[in-house]
Amino acid sequence: MSGYIIRRILYMIPTVLGVILITFVLFNVAGGDPAMLKLGKQATAQCLEEYDVQRGYDKPLICGLWGKTRAYWSDFRFSAAPWGMVRGTVYTNNPHRVILPAGGEYSVPLSFSLKPDTCYRWRLDYRRGGPCDAGSARFVVTSGTNIVKTVLLDAGSWKKQYVEFKTPGEPGKLGSSFAVSGAAVELRSLALDKRAGSFFDSQLLFFLGQIARLDFGVSAETNQKVSTMILGGIVPSLILTVPIFFIGLFVQVLLALACAYYRDRFIDRFFVVISVVLMSVPYLVWIIGGQYFFAYRLHLFPVWGFESLKYVVLPVLVGFFSGIGGGLRFYRTVILDEVYKDYVRTAFAKGVSRRGVMLKHVLKNAMIPILTSVVMAIPFLYTGSLLLETFFGIPGLGNLSVNAILSSDFDVVRAAVLVGAVIYVAANLVTDLCYAFVDPRVRLR
Amino acid sequence: MTQESEKPDAGGRSLWSAAWHTLERNWLAMASLGIILVFAVTAVYGEIVYWRYNVINANPPAILVPMQKVFIKVLMAGRVKGQIPPYQRQDLDLQYRQPGWSSVKAFDGTIKTRFFPMGTDGLGRDVFQRIIQGVRIAFQVGIITSLIAIPIAILLGCLAGYFGGWIDDLIVWLYSTVASMPALLFILSISLVVGKGLAGVYLGIGLTTWVYLCRLIRGEVLKHKELAYIKAARVMGLGDGRIIFRHILPNIFHLIIINFSLRFPAAIETEVIMSFLGIGVQNEPSWGIMISNARFRLWYGVWWELVFTTLAIFLIVLAFNLLGDALRDALDPRLRKQPEEV
Repeated sequence: MSGYIIRRILYMIPTVLGVILITFVLFNVAGGDPAMLKLGKQATAQCLEEYDVQRGYDKPLICGLWGKTRAYWSDFRFSAAPWGMVRGTVYTNNPHRVILPAGGEYSVPLSFSLKPDTCYRWRLDYRRGGPCDAGSARFVVTSGTNIVKTVLLDAGSWKKQYVEFKTPGEPGKLGSSFAVSGAAVELRSLALDKRAGSFFDSQLLFFLGQIARLDFGVSAETNQKVSTMILGGIVPSLILTVPIFFIGLFVQVLLALACAYYRDRFIDRFFVVISVVLMSVPYLVWIIGGQYFFAYRLHLFPVWGFESLKYVVLPVLVGFFSGIGGGLRFYRTVILDEVYKDYVRTAFAKGVSRRGVMLKHVLKNAMIPILTSVVMAIPFLYTGSLLLETFFGIPGLGNLSVNAILSSDFDVVRAAVLVGAVIYVAANLVTDLCYAFVDPRVRLR
Repeated sequence: MTQESEKPDAGGRSLWSAAWHTLERNWLAMASLGIILVFAVTAVYGEIVYWRYNVINANPPAILVPMQKVFIKVLMAGRVKGQIPPYQRQDLDLQYRQPGWSSVKAFDGTIKTRFFPMGTDGLGRDVFQRIIQGVRIAFQVGIITSLIAIPIAILLGCLAGYFGGWIDDLIVWLYSTVASMPALLFILSISLVVGKGLAGVYLGIGLTTWVYLCRLIRGEVLKHKELAYIKAARVMGLGDGRIIFRHILPNIFHLIIINFSLRFPAAIETEVIMSFLGIGVQNEPSWGIMISNARFRLWYGVWWELVFTTLAIFLIVLAFNLLGDALRDALDPRLRKQPEEV
């Protein structure tokens, strides 16, 4: 048995890693620009940068030495962006280039001054055309009046060049500029990178570190710690979902047994039809209808809030009724599957009563699929009540997640998804162990 | 199994015609099919109305411009150029009219009557027209999410089942990981990442609901791989691709049909929830948005928008559920023990 448990726990590891990976891909790789999404297009580059730094989004994705900074940003494919402000430069739309004519000095427009004592890198992609007999072009990084670094730009065809430099310790007016004489410099692209702490100091590592510390960052909406918010949401969620779950399970299994007992008679048919009909009622309608009739019309329950147990009764009822159709159908098929097995016939042949067969033999054997469905319902315990909580104003995890999604609060959503998935994996483990406990055959596999 | 439906002596009939025969005698299934057809026709009508008013303003890539011109001609879009589509027409004099005939006072003082089969909403828009557009959106969601999810499921399921080994391990790992994600929250966060709108709905639902079918197909392919006809095909030297797609796939295709009929209503319901929360459809009349608009008005006695929208959702979901059950019985009774998706 202990061997089985250890094996089973080892099986869990790849799934948990997979869950972490999917969350990472979803929110960091595919997630676009969380800072922009959260702060809006009007936010200054400095604000966005602060958001990035706080949440690790300025680091390289998986590994690497160079992360991003918002001090300089341009994409010549769409506009001359910051270069439009620089006197003397020309932007051509097709091909998308910025041209720095000869005989001038052009300082690169930065959104905010660079951080002191940090390594940065310019990525130049340029061409210096025309006869290059006279004059020269230089790319100069300056701090106040001091020159930090000078690079000579070669003449000829397209060339990519990196200019690394370290900003001085004392904060000063840091700038970069092109000094062009002789022939014009044509820029295809220009970008600025910020040096990461080390090769593996990446977003992935940052995320893994957060998970290891169980610290999921800070909500951009409320400035609370995400882990505190999630911990605070668990209890209201459980108060709502645990009764729904257990009452539901009990009633559904009981009705399913009744259906199997009166198989193909009126009661069975009736419940089968009812369950399909109940299943097809949209979930929203259960909630809106319940709230309208029982709380507003009949004044039986409070409409909204979470102050005493009275407030939970209606949501529990709604959750219970919305789940009964699907559950009843499922358990009915599970139980009917057992009814046609040989051991049932044997039991009948032995003279066991119909009720005895149902409750003792069939129910016991149907326990395994029922157990499976119980596990499948555990993620529901965690967030399945998303809508219920939103409608009835219960400050649980569902409410938390919906609000976070509506306000693009990435950290909270990410933590909610991750925690939900990990709970599911853990629940799966528990069921498998229960299987092994209940059914000795499983252990041998 | 539980309820082995008495099949007539098939006498060499194909699975499909035998299944159709079973279905034909099931009046509930036929009624559901009828309802679905009515909804489908409505969806097509809604699509025509939508494009008639929007095709001129569409900004397609250069390749599609000739097609746009053809559509403009066919739909006679020129005649309604610049007009607001009927489901968006607002008239504050017509707020919250009850279903039935309504009198409208025109500018010159004359009184006309107009017929609103399902009343009007808070901006005086015709609820009936909006529900038709809702059917359009619902069908789009059902079909496009299936077009995303089913190919993924087929491809991964076949690869895993047929090749086994590390490919199988990898795919099983992938789907068990995806299955571990909290369903609705995962869908919502995908659409958050993709951005509000229909694309987010399609990707959110499409990329998360392939797991069940994939698992099913993998199991079936594993089984079929050992059967004599596949062994024979391999002995004949047929390629793997050919064996999978020409020989195994047709034999498990009924699973896909059944899955489609069950995923369709689930997708519709998920879309309704997403649009209701404001992450789904934007600026178009979807059922979720209509419910969201109507729900507070219910408290003031304006029942029609909510009731008719609910009825539409209920009917289509019920029809698909019943048809799905009937299809499952007709095509593969073993599948009865299927947990509900999403």
